[in-house]
Amino acid sequence: MAQLTSIDYLVILSYLAATMVIGLWVGSYVRSGSDFFLAGRSLPWWAIGMSLVATDIGGTDLIGVGGDAYRYGIVMGNFEWIGCIPAMLVGAFVFIPHLWRCRVTTIPEYLERRFSVQLRSSVAACWLFLMACNLGVMLLASAVFLKSLTGWDISVCILITALLVGTYTWSGGLAAVVYTDVLQGVVMIGGCLMFVAIGIYEVGGIEPLIDKIHTVAKGQDQQDALQREQKMTAAERLAFKSKKTRHDRPAHESEHLSLVLPVDTRSPGPWPGILFGLGLIVGPGYWIGNQSIVQRALGAKSEYEAKASYVYGALIKNVIPFLVAVPGLIALVKFPELGHERADVALPQLVGALLPAGFRGMFVAAFLAALMSSVDSYLNSATTLYVNDFYRRFYRPEADEGQMLAVGRWTTIGFVLWGIYFAFQLLAFPAGIYTIFQTLLSFFIGPTLAVLIAGMLSRNASSDGAVTGFYAGLLTSVGLFSLNQPGVCRRLGLRPLFQVGQPYLYYSIWSFLVAMMFIVIFSYFLRSDPPEKTRYAIGGTNPEGGAA
Amino acid sequence: MTLLHWIGDFLRHQLDLVPLSTARWLMIGLYLILMFWIIQLPSTATNPPGRQGTWRGDLKIWAWFALMFQILIYSVF
Repeated sequence: MAQLTSIDYLVILSYLAATMVIGLWVGSYVRSGSDFFLAGRSLPWWAIGMSLVATDIGGTDLIGVGGDAYRYGIVMGNFEWIGCIPAMLVGAFVFIPHLWRCRVTTIPEYLERRFSVQLRSSVAACWLFLMACNLGVMLLASAVFLKSLTGWDISVCILITALLVGTYTWSGGLAAVVYTDVLQGVVMIGGCLMFVAIGIYEVGGIEPLIDKIHTVAKGQDQQDALQREQKMTAAERLAFKSKKTRHDRPAHESEHLSLVLPVDTRSPGPWPGILFGLGLIVGPGYWIGNQSIVQRALGAKSEYEAKASYVYGALIKNVIPFLVAVPGLIALVKFPELGHERADVALPQLVGALLPAGFRGMFVAAFLAALMSSVDSYLNSATTLYVNDFYRRFYRPEADEGQMLAVGRWTTIGFVLWGIYFAFQLLAFPAGIYTIFQTLLSFFIGPTLAVLIAGMLSRNASSDGAVTGFYAGLLTSVGLFSLNQPGVCRRLGLRPLFQVGQPYLYYSIWSFLVAMMFIVIFSYFLRSDPPEKTRYAIGGTNPEGGAA
Repeated sequence: MTLLHWIGDFLRHQLDLVPLSTARWLMIGLYLILMFWIIQLPSTATNPPGRQGTWRGDLKIWAWFALMFQILIYSVF
C-alpha cells in the first residue's frame, strides 16, 4: 500500500481522539457494577443496533472477507445475510425479550436459573476460554493487517490497540463500548461506502464491473479446474466433468456472483452448509447465545428497545456485504494476476491504487473502527462472564455494586494484559494457529444453542438432560474436528471426514443435533425439574411476578 | 472407511442431486416463512407499550423491509 501522508495521519488521529473522548466521557457516569456491565439498563435501540453490527464486523473480517470475495465471490455475503438476518429477527421477537424480562446479566446466569449451576459454569468456562483466546488472536491478526496497511511495527500495533481499547473499556464498561461502537460503525460504513463508490467509478460502473468479474473469474475457474483434473484418476475426471455441466448457470457466467453454490464448491459456502449450518444453527447460536452480542440488548432501557435494536441491526446488515465483499470483487478486476494464493493482499493493494491522500487515512480509520469495536466487546464480555459467573457466584456472593465495579475494572486490566501476552506468544506459532482458535466458536455454538432452545421453548427439558446434551455436543464437534485433521487421518489410515476446505459449519450442525438428541432422551428418562426452574421457560412466570 | 464416512458420503450424494434452483427456493422459502410468522405476531409484541397504531414504531414493518430486501437479493444473486 502507498505511504500514508500527514493528512491521512490527521484523519486517523481525529478518529482515535473522538473515540477516546466518547469512551471516557461515558465512563464518567459509571457508578456501579450494574452501570459497568449493563450500562444501568439505559441503552437506546439505535445505539445497540449499530453496536451489534459494528461488533460483528472485526478488522480481520473487513480484510479477510475482501480476500475471500476475491477468491470465491459474493457467496461470502451469505455470512452477513442468511447467517444473520433470520436469526436476528427470530431473536428480536422470541429470545431477546425473554432474556431481558428475566433480568439476567449473562446467558450462563439464565442457564442456572432454568437448569443448574453445573451448566452455568460449563457454558461460562467454554465462552470465557474462547473470548480470552480470541482477544490475543484478534489483537495479533489485526496488528498483522494494520502493519500491511500502515507499515508500523507489529509490536507497536498490538500495544497501541490494546492500550486504546483497554482504556475506554476500563473506564466506561458496556456503555463506553456501545457508544464508541456507534462512532466506529458510522466510520466503518462511511469509509467502506466511499471506497466502494470510488472503486465502481474507476472500473466504469456497475454493468462493466459485473461483466469483468465474470470474464476474470471464469478464466480463473477454468485454470483451477484444469489443475484439479490433472490430479484426478480417469473415473474421477469423468464424474467431475459431468458435474460441471449440471450447474444451472449460463456458460459465460462464473460462480463469483452467485450466493447458492453446489455441494462440491471450493468455497466455504456449499448450499447445505449455508442453509442448514449457517442459517439454522450458527446464525441463531451467534445472535442468541453469544454473550458479547446479547449483553448489549440486556442493557436496553426497555423490552421494546431490546427488540427494536435487533430489528434495526437486521436492516443495516442488508447493506454490509456490499461494503465488505464488493471491494474484493473490484480488486479481482483490477489485479487478476494475484490469484487465489495472494488474495489477502488484494485489498491493501487496492487501497493504495484507488484512494488519494486523506481518503487512505479514512479507510485505515474504518479498519481501526472495525477492529476496536470487536476487541472492546470481547474484552467487556469476558470481564462480565468472569465477574458475574465465577467471582460473584462462587467467591463473593455478597459483593455490593461498588465492589463489583472495582473488580470489573481490575479484571478488564487483567484481560488487556493477558491479550497482549497471548498475542506476543502467538507470534512464535505459524499463521494456521489463528484458524484453530477461530474454529473454537463452531465447537461451542451448536451445544449452546441446543440448551438455550430446549430451556426456553420446553418445560420438559431437564437440567440433567441439558448438561449431558451440552457435553455430548461439545465432544461431537471436537471429535469431528479431530477426524478431519490430516495428521489424525494418516495415523488411523482414514480419509478426512469432510470434503470441503473449511467444514466448521458442519461441526455446528452435527454438534447441535447430537446435543438436542441427548437433551430429549435424558430429559425423558431422568427426573424432571421443579416448577421454580421450569417457570424460566418462555410463557412461565419469573420470580418478580412478571411474565417470563 | 467408518460408519461416519458412509453417512457423510450418502448425505453428500443425496444433497448433490438437489438442483441449485431448488436450493435457492429453499433459502427464499425460509424468508417467506419468517414474513408469514411476523405478520401474525400480535401488535402488542411489535409496538411500544401504550403507543400502538403509529406505523413508525411498529417493528413488523421494519422486519418486513429487512426480509423483502433479502428475498430480492437471493432472487438476483
